[in-house]
Amino acid sequence: MMKNIEKYRNAFMDALELEEDEVSEDLALGETSEWDSLGHMILISTMEDVFDVSLDSEWMTEFDSYQSGMQLLNRLGVDFVNE
Amino acid sequence: MTFISIEFLIFFTVIVFAYYLIPHRWRWVLLLAASYSFYASLSSYFVLLLLLSTAFSYSTGIMIEKQETKEQKKKVMLAGICVLLFFLGWFKYFNFVNDSIRAISAYMDWNYAIPYQEIVLPLAISFYTFQAVSYLVDIYRGKQKAERHYGYFSIYFAFFPQLVAGPIERAKKLLPQFKVEQTLKYENLSYGMKRIAWGFFKKTLIADRLAPIVASVYDSPDPTGSQIVLATVLFSIQLYADFSALSDIAIGCARMLGIKLTENFKQPHLAVSIADFWSRWHITLSAWLRDYIFVPLCKGRKKRSEIYLVIIITFLISGIWHGAAWSFVLWGLIHGFYRVFGDHTKHVRGKMATFTQLDRSPTLHKWMKIATTFLLVCFSRVFFRSDSVTAAFENAQLFLTPSSWRPSGIIEAFELFSLLDLVIFTFFFVIVQLFHYIERKNASTWNWLSQRPAFARYAVYVLLIVSILVFGASGQGFVYGGF
Repeated sequence: MMKNIEKYRNAFMDALELEEDEVSEDLALGETSEWDSLGHMILISTMEDVFDVSLDSEWMTEFDSYQSGMQLLNRLGVDFVNE
Repeated sequence: MTFISIEFLIFFTVIVFAYYLIPHRWRWVLLLAASYSFYASLSSYFVLLLLLSTAFSYSTGIMIEKQETKEQKKKVMLAGICVLLFFLGWFKYFNFVNDSIRAISAYMDWNYAIPYQEIVLPLAISFYTFQAVSYLVDIYRGKQKAERHYGYFSIYFAFFPQLVAGPIERAKKLLPQFKVEQTLKYENLSYGMKRIAWGFFKKTLIADRLAPIVASVYDSPDPTGSQIVLATVLFSIQLYADFSALSDIAIGCARMLGIKLTENFKQPHLAVSIADFWSRWHITLSAWLRDYIFVPLCKGRKKRSEIYLVIIITFLISGIWHGAAWSFVLWGLIHGFYRVFGDHTKHVRGKMATFTQLDRSPTLHKWMKIATTFLLVCFSRVFFRSDSVTAAFENAQLFLTPSSWRPSGIIEAFELFSLLDLVIFTFFFVIVQLFHYIERKNASTWNWLSQRPAFARYAVYVLLIVSILVFGASGQGFVYGGF
């Protein structure tokens, strides 16, 4: 079974149409042309589907980098460490 | 009693004095009485509708909260929103829909008998309905508790500084501020008065001086292309000065009562793209549309083409919100198209900037983007300003005709101004640009000014007041006051 971290990385690749080596921990909203405001909406929809969570406007704003997205999902019950 | 009147200034001064003199527990009564009096002075006929909408939203909020399941909450919320939108639809859109059906029926040779109805648009209905919708949705989403104190809730619904034309506020931001005891602070009074004066300045020295000039072209049966170009650019300046002045006065009045409202403008005519423009223009409406239309409609969308459709729908709603006319619908669609086209071509435009080496001169590149965005916004405003779709297309055609942009024609079009009017407008326009320049270099022009020597500060204040008293033009209503 795929681990959450793999699902998380795959979500970035699917939503933003990135190659595997383009998904790094430094990735942030607005710093690549793919992760712009519209790409962000697709990314949020993908994350919601993959992890079965609901992200409202405030959380969408908080999810502004690869790292902050993990922290946010972690708070919503997605475990990236002990799975 | 409009904002730009001695009556309002006297009324507001009395309210401020009374507000700080009476105990906190009675202030909500004062604010509520002031809000309803202010509304009645502008639109006494529709106070009852405001009261009904308030009572309905108050009770619906509590009903949503009392439901046990999410599904039940959703049903009550949707029912509540439908009722609120029914009122908005009836008063604002009945004739628009009715006229459209009649025109289609005439074209198709159908029998359609419902005549035009004399329906007056209740003042501020678009603004307070949107506030009410956000309140109900936030309760459903669990972000807002249903307010039990009917007085505080009623002030949220009808707070007079922002009732007529926003900023559109959320209950989460306003309600707690009404409940906290606001103490008399020099900073609040001083800042509030400056913002009000600045609003008066923009309204009377820019907006209302330009309004008759713009109207002389748009009301003319045969304007020249250059006149349309000039009048449209001037209308953009007028609209910004008019609406931002309204927000300045609202923010200033609220601040004098210790209440902080949301900023509604961030120098929108310096936006580098249409997306950027909408993050700087009527910010509270953009945020409302984002949170209650765009984001919910984006749920589950995983293709850019699907998001594009949502953008178009959102701008369509924005257009319809602004006015019940096809020209506003088209205006909204034009902005939707701009936004989608901008996104779809961003890679190509990036490559073109590299190919032409424009990206090596960031300042030039930025100003070219600002100029392009401004012209696109101006073009859309041809539809915003024109009285009918037919006139809008005629004016748009003139705007797009290359000969309309001949410098000699534009210079000739300046004859719309008398020499005195042109000198006065130019002088005050430069002052506004100077204010904006200082704002860009510092966080706040008012803070920057407060650090200058006393004589410099007071010279500016005297200049503001004397300019308004001597050169201020008034008598024009606020453009957004009609929405």
